[in-house]
Amino acid sequence: MQEQTNEQNNSITLEDLRPRPEEKKTFPDHFMPRLHPGILFDPKKCTGCGTCEMVCSLRNVSKIAPASASIKVLRDEDSVKNFAILCQHCRKPLCIEACPTRAIEKGEDGIVRINKLFCVACGLCTIACPEAAPLQDPITGEINKCDLCDGDPQCVKYCPSGALILTKGKSFRWIKGLRWFVQTISFLLLVVVLIGTFCSLKAGALSLSCPAGVLQNIASSGVVVLVWVLSTFLIIGLTILAGRFFCGWICPFGFFLDLVDKITPKKIGLPSFFKSRMAKYGILIGAVGGSCAFGFQVFCPICPIGSICRSHGAAGTLNGANMGIVAALAGLEVTERRVWCRYFCPVGAILALFAKIGLIKIVIGANQCKKFSCVQCAEVCPMGIIDANKLREGISPEIPMTECITCMRCIDRCPYGAAKIRFRWQKTIPGNIEL
Amino acid sequence: MANGKDMIAEAKRSSGAHSCVECGRCVAVCPMAEMYSNFSIEMSPRGVIKKALTGNDIITDENIWYCTECNAGTDVCPQGVSCRDLIRGLREIAIEENIVEDLKHCTRCGRQFVSIPVENFVFERLREEPPNVLDVLELCPSCKREVYMLRNT
Repeated sequence: MQEQTNEQNNSITLEDLRPRPEEKKTFPDHFMPRLHPGILFDPKKCTGCGTCEMVCSLRNVSKIAPASASIKVLRDEDSVKNFAILCQHCRKPLCIEACPTRAIEKGEDGIVRINKLFCVACGLCTIACPEAAPLQDPITGEINKCDLCDGDPQCVKYCPSGALILTKGKSFRWIKGLRWFVQTISFLLLVVVLIGTFCSLKAGALSLSCPAGVLQNIASSGVVVLVWVLSTFLIIGLTILAGRFFCGWICPFGFFLDLVDKITPKKIGLPSFFKSRMAKYGILIGAVGGSCAFGFQVFCPICPIGSICRSHGAAGTLNGANMGIVAALAGLEVTERRVWCRYFCPVGAILALFAKIGLIKIVIGANQCKKFSCVQCAEVCPMGIIDANKLREGISPEIPMTECITCMRCIDRCPYGAAKIRFRWQKTIPGNIEL
Repeated sequence: MANGKDMIAEAKRSSGAHSCVECGRCVAVCPMAEMYSNFSIEMSPRGVIKKALTGNDIITDENIWYCTECNAGTDVCPQGVSCRDLIRGLREIAIEENIVEDLKHCTRCGRQFVSIPVENFVFERLREEPPNVLDVLELCPSCKREVYMLRNT
């Protein structure tokens, strides 16, 4: 037994010769190239001619043999639909995990390649791939997988109908900068410049009010003052136009939580009994009912948005109780992102009701979406409403606009431009969205 | 059973197992060595060929079900023995004789597409993935492509 262990220690294993990428530490997750190259496929344009297979095999084996190609066109005679199976160059490829000889590598340029020197054509990558994109040549038994022709795909060049498009990725990075700029400006305006704002503000003829505050005001006093109701219209109009734009771009407390998220990147998760998105409606009803019963606005004194707005200035009440709420809710951020906005905020609840009848919607999963291979949108969504599991199954998830805060993080993050804003009435069946 | 023996003989003849010189090159390239911690000489292609040539109980041996059918051994064999063809032939006989069948069936079309130990290896490697990703492992490759096509057209 002792001899055997010695022998094992001295022998060179595959671990020494070809360590896994994560063990090599040359390609950590945060170092991933932001733009991922890939081929986009549009099933509506594909005629099923098979030119892509032919030119691909011409490159692979120097002869026209569609079976040796790295792309496969599926033709459904009944529904007259064509579909091309090709490697998506996943962000975290399952084939790399499954390959016993570690012949598959993701290069620094984002292209997943099979190293033919090490490949023994066992076919485990085909079993592990959700799309079965590595294709086994039925004659030679070799595994063929797209390597994007090292950046100049022949299939894209020769596709007669333009169904295949090479993408190096799209960048809507400017949205991120714009969002932080708008958030900072509105934070400064609402908290520092205009004191005690958002809750109620009068600037000449223009009158602004928090809709939740107005509801509580009406409930507590029992009179409906038309000016109060009208003064909420600016924010409600914004919500109908652009969803809960206020929550994502303007709300000073939301900005504060976004900043807290920056310093608490690791999330420990919330117990499931806490996770009821209906709770915020309950709090809203409770606040209005309480105001009716007690005769004053019960929620407004502890409202974190109001607290943070009133925290600065000459009349600023930097009192401990108010700021304690802000600090406690900031502490909750270690569990999930924007916990307050997700589950509890009554202002968000009232805006959610208007966002439900709003004009826009966010759609994810156009023809460009790489579905299971990417799911960056789900990772980056602060409200956690993008269903990564749906995406991994290859289905486009529905985005509930009542929960979406229109922060557009999914849009600026998506490397393929598959997350979009569309009008509510635009036809966008999941998975097949108008370009 | 005589029929079964004939079939084994046919499998050995067609794969060229008789010309094996036991050089061990197939063992050197066999991916099973990396896949299974209990890899042994009995499991290796050389061991299976030797047992097929010397003994008659190769059909009941579970070692024939670990192979990934990759054909790497054939590529390096100086004698041109196809270990894949031998193991395929032995598996076919085992299934026909109803002795043992260690193959995974596709849940959609019912085709056998991979042996259970190989499937378990892939499961083991992908165990950190969410369960619905692992659901696709229940499907054979052509069904996976079709399912993906149906979802996206």
